[in-house]
This record gives sequence, C-alpha cells and structure tokens, in this order.
Amino acid sequence: MTRLQTLLTSAAVLAVLGAGPALAEVTVLGWPGGPEEAGLRKAAETYNATASDADKVKLIFFNRDGFFDKLAADLAAGSTEFDINLLATYALGRYAPFMDPITLPEADKATFPEKVLATMQYDGKQYGIPTDLSLHFMYYRSDLIDKLKSDASWKAKYGEISKKYLGKALEPKDPDAWTWEDWMATALFFTKSINSDSPTRYGTVLQMKNLLFNMMVWHSAARAQGGDWMNDKGEITVDSPAYRAALDIYKKLYDAGTSPKDSTTYEFAEANAAFGAGQAATMLQWNAAFGDLDNKDKTPAVAGKIGTVAPPAGPAGRFTHIHGLGLGINKASKNKEGAAKFLNWLGTPDAMEVYAKAGGSPALSDAVVAKVSAERPDLVKLGQYAGAYGFVMHGGTAAKALQVYELQAKEFTAYWSGDKSLDAALAAAKTGMAELLKP
Amino acid sequence: MSRTSRFEGRLLLAPLTAFLLALLGFPLLLDVVYSVSRVGFENIRAPELTGLANYAKAIADPGFWSAAWFSLRFGLIVAVIQVVVGLMLAVFLAPLFARRPWLIAFMMLPMMVAPALVGLMYRLILHEFVGAVPYYLLEIYGDFPAFLGRDWAFTTLVVVETLQWTPFALLILHSSYAAISPDVREAAALDGARGRRLFVYIDLPLMLPAIGITFFIRFIDSFRVFDNLYTLVGPGAGGSTTSMSIYIYQAFFKVGDIGLAVAASMLLLAASFVVLWLINRLTARKAPL
Repeated sequence: MTRLQTLLTSAAVLAVLGAGPALAEVTVLGWPGGPEEAGLRKAAETYNATASDADKVKLIFFNRDGFFDKLAADLAAGSTEFDINLLATYALGRYAPFMDPITLPEADKATFPEKVLATMQYDGKQYGIPTDLSLHFMYYRSDLIDKLKSDASWKAKYGEISKKYLGKALEPKDPDAWTWEDWMATALFFTKSINSDSPTRYGTVLQMKNLLFNMMVWHSAARAQGGDWMNDKGEITVDSPAYRAALDIYKKLYDAGTSPKDSTTYEFAEANAAFGAGQAATMLQWNAAFGDLDNKDKTPAVAGKIGTVAPPAGPAGRFTHIHGLGLGINKASKNKEGAAKFLNWLGTPDAMEVYAKAGGSPALSDAVVAKVSAERPDLVKLGQYAGAYGFVMHGGTAAKALQVYELQAKEFTAYWSGDKSLDAALAAAKTGMAELLKP
Repeated sequence: MSRTSRFEGRLLLAPLTAFLLALLGFPLLLDVVYSVSRVGFENIRAPELTGLANYAKAIADPGFWSAAWFSLRFGLIVAVIQVVVGLMLAVFLAPLFARRPWLIAFMMLPMMVAPALVGLMYRLILHEFVGAVPYYLLEIYGDFPAFLGRDWAFTTLVVVETLQWTPFALLILHSSYAAISPDVREAAALDGARGRRLFVYIDLPLMLPAIGITFFIRFIDSFRVFDNLYTLVGPGAGGSTTSMSIYIYQAFFKVGDIGLAVAASMLLLAASFVVLWLINRLTARKAPL
C-alpha cells in the first residue's frame, strides 16, 4: 500500500468513526435565553444520563430575536441541522407543512390537560409536546402593597395622587381585585418622582420595545377594554375606543414617569432587571419570570416578597393572553426515530417534573402538578388562569399572525414614544392588518 | 498577441472567472429574480413573477426612505467624526507612537471586538439597573438621560460607533502621516513654515488621499450599520433607529416579504453604482493633473 493509499484509508476510517455517533444524535433546537432553556437543558441532561449513545440529545439555540422567521427559513429549506424544533401556538399553521405529526403515548396524554394538548394541535393532528404555557401575571411587591392597604398616611396620599392624575380619588385594593385604573393609581403612587415617600423609584416597568412579544403582553390590557383584532365578519377592529383606551393606559403611565425612561427599549430581561432590583413596585410580565424573580440567589432584593395575580379587570372583563410553546419533529430530520423517542420521554410525568423544577412552565394535569407545587406554586395558578382568563385574539393563529404583532409593535411604540399620533398609528395598523389578514 | 498567448491568458483567467460567477454572479441573478417576484419563505423555491411591483412598493414605502435617510445621516456624521478625531490623534500622538510603537496595537483593541458584542456591552453599561454609567450619574447628579430612549438613541449610537472604529481611521492616517518625507518638512521649515502653517500647507495636502479613502471606507461601513445597532436598540420605537440594513433584514425575516427586501437591496446596489461612477468620473478628471 502506498503512503497516499494509507492516508486515504485512515481518513476514511476516521470519518466513519466520527460520523457514526453524530448521525444518530438527536439535535433539538430550543427556545433560547430564558427559563425554557434552563428547563430543557436539565431535561436533556437527565435523558442523556440513561440514553444509549445513539439516542443522546444535543441542544442548539439561536437568538430569540427573529427566531421564528429564521426557523421558518430553515424548515422551508429542508434543513437537517436539527431533528426537533420549537413550535408556538401562533405559528402552528406556518410550520405544520414542514413538520411531522406525532402520536402521543397514553402516559403522555395523562400528563397534560386536554386544553393544553390542543395548543399544539393543527388540522386535527398533534404536532408537538406542550412544554410551556405562557400567560401573564401581574407581579407586585407584596410587602409594599400590604403596607399600602394598612398605612393611613399612604392611603391618603394614594387618594390624592389618583385624584390628581386620574381624576378620581381611589382607595387601595387587594391586587386580585384591581381594575386597570387601580393598577395605574398604584403605579403612580410608587413612583419616586410623583411621591417622594415611595420606597421604589418606579411604580411599574413597561415593556415598550418595538418587539412582537411586547404586544402580546399589552394585549391583556387591550382585551380587558373590549379590544379585538377583527370582528366575526372579518373586519379589522383595532381602530376602536377599546384599543385607544388600552394604548392610553401605557402612554399615560410612561409620560408620567412611572416606568424607566428607557422603557421603549425594554423587553423581558430588562423588565425583570428593574423589578428584580427592587426598583419597580408592579410589573405585567410573562409567568415564566416568576422562578428567577423568587429565587433568593438570583434576585435577593425581591425574592420572597412577590405576589402574583391575573392581570387587572377592565370594562369587558379580566383576561390574559395565552399561547403554548412545544417541541415537534422536523419533517426533514434524518433521525425521526430517535427524535420520537426523546419526545415520548419528555411527555412523561417524570420528565415534566424535571423540566418544571429547572424553570420550565408546563401546564400539567392536577396529579402531576401536585408533585412540583411546593417548589413551583406558580404552576398551579398557570392552569387556573389559563382556564379562567385565557384568550387568543380573533385572527391570532392566522398564518401571518406574527407579522400582525410586528406591525402593531412598530405602530404602537411610535405612539408611545411620541413619534406618531394615536389616529395615525391606529390607521396604519388597520391598513396593514387588513392586508395581512385578508382571506 | 499570438493566438496561443490569448488562449493561455483565458485559461489562466478561467478559474477566477468561474469563482466570481459562482459566488457573485449566481446570487446576483437570484436576487434579480426574487426582486421581480412575489416570494416568501413558503414558496422560496418557486417564486411567482410580478414585474416591478416590489420596486414600486419599496419606493412608495415611507419606511424605506426613512431608513435610507437614517443610514445616510449616520454614515456621514460618524465618518466625519472618526476622520477628524483619527487625524487629531495621528498628529498629536505621532511623537509618542514613534518612541513606543506598541501603543498602536493597544489603540487598535476596540476594533477587534465583534460589533454585536459591543452593542450588548453598551446595552449593559447603559442599563439603568445594571449599568455603571446611569448608576454614577444618578449618584453624582441625581439624574441621567435615557441613553437608549428616543431622544438620545442616535447620539448614543454615534458615540458607540465612533469609539469602536476611530482606531481604524487612526491606523491609516498615522501611516500616512508617518510616510511624509522629513525632507519635505525640512524644506518647508527652511522657508519659515512652522506649527499650524506646516500642517495646513504641507502635511494636510499630502495626507488628503489617505483622508479621502478613510472617509469613504468609514462612510460605507457606517452606512450599512447593523450588528451593534441591532443589539443596542433594535429598530427603535416606531422604527426610529431603522437603518437600511435593518429595513432589509426586517422585510426579509420579520415580515417575510423577501421580494421587497431584495428589491430594496437592489435599489441600494444601484445607488452605490451611481456614487462609484461619480467618484470615478471626478478622479478621472483630476488624473491629468
């Protein structure tokens, strides 16, 4: 054998040895940068501890910004870089053509309530394991609210401030009984520039960055005022008094200085930093933030002093935006068998217990949630609130729903920052939505 | 030239031509097709021809012109500041660099950090609750501006871009300044030129080509700003900090309107050719001198 032949043979042997395990590995593209990532990492670690080499799971993540569009591009291009990918309720219709439906084992069906499994169903087929349910909590500093409800001088000042800024003298209430007006009054009261006695610099922290997820947060306020994307006839209805009222809630609070000046660049992480620093008394935020905020090692300033309730009530009732995140199988995957094996395991009560304890937010059936309720009391509320107050905007699962969120984010942040009038922002949103949601 | 030499010349050029056709020609052709098609992620392999509709849509979109104006303003301001500051540093620090050349490597450090990381770094530094700058301003003055807010975002971006890329201007202008023959300066000094006069009438004219090149490189680079801008403030409230690159990115990835994104980039390409043609023409006129 010549030297060249020896080299080529060695290279081929090495390539085969190296490629073998890599081909069998199951690659999961997860949701990056939040408690979902922490949960998935722990679950994968647990699974890999007992899985054979051929079934081991490898995790990959890319930036949260523009995630769904990058994923759409990869799926449409038939990428084989991942076997399992993230799914979201509001993007199911967009991804379903590029994914394989899954068949859930009976054990997995008992892990999740039927309504939660339905967040991953499209056209009658199950496309994913519902790993996380997302909705909104109104976070508040329980120590401060307790004092507000009991201290006579604080109560008097609260009345004065609400009279001055909202036109009527209000009395402090329990957060579970708040209307949006009560929340506004509380935010104003706990703002240092308005009330020098306030122990916090800001009464709230608003997420006003030009980002689609921030629209989802704000929608809980819009729906409570009676707002919707469209009516039963398919006509766009954002140019309504309800939408105007909800947009004005944020505008008034921001202009009054109840939220940090840079709030127009704030999203999930920045808002948590403000609340976690102990400098914001309230925050309308995703339920997923609770785990880190109530952790004494991560946020010692507020851990143990946080209360959570469903978002406040409005004229149309009490609502919270709701959507599910999950994991399903890429149609182009070259290891569908390994992928299905991991998903079947992930849907078991034991796996979900690991996932939940590590930070994930699955909505679990009563029997399963009982095992984690001591460490994750927020998960009990998750199921309750989803059933009682959850909503999806009319048109919120359309193929171009994400583009609608993007459009609203651009137009409404323009209004909040003072770049556009309310009329101009609503008119632009209405025109754009009519184009995006036309049948 | 003989037929054999022509053949050999073509043969030698063939690999380079094939390389350019594969890496530039094919994507350009694909872009042209996409720019005249209705195409999204779902039909990316089967675009539907629609003529010049995407170009008309881009031209009629106020967001396109707003992004173009943002990029132009940002590119010009940043390039001018970087050239002026770089020139000042090159001249004033020249004696120091002559004695301690390793300082130049030290000054280049900001350029070696990825722009996206620079954006993230300043996002942390300027954040009210975790950043050092707002903290100390609050301690000392009792207040601080909203560095990333609507009124300050542009200024913050200019400062961040300048801090990172002025070293590039410094490097080129320092090389140019150091390359001026001492004989020329000595002759000028014999004629009585000193200090400012020496700089204005001798050094500056000799450095003009380097200044021009530095300005254009920095302008082009700043005009297409994306990474640090995106990680620092994103497109901004109402799209107030949307550069051309971000406009194209959003149209492509966020809105999924690939035809519009590619048409906008083709318009940008055409504008670049016009500018290059003008520069060539100006250079050609000056050449006989």
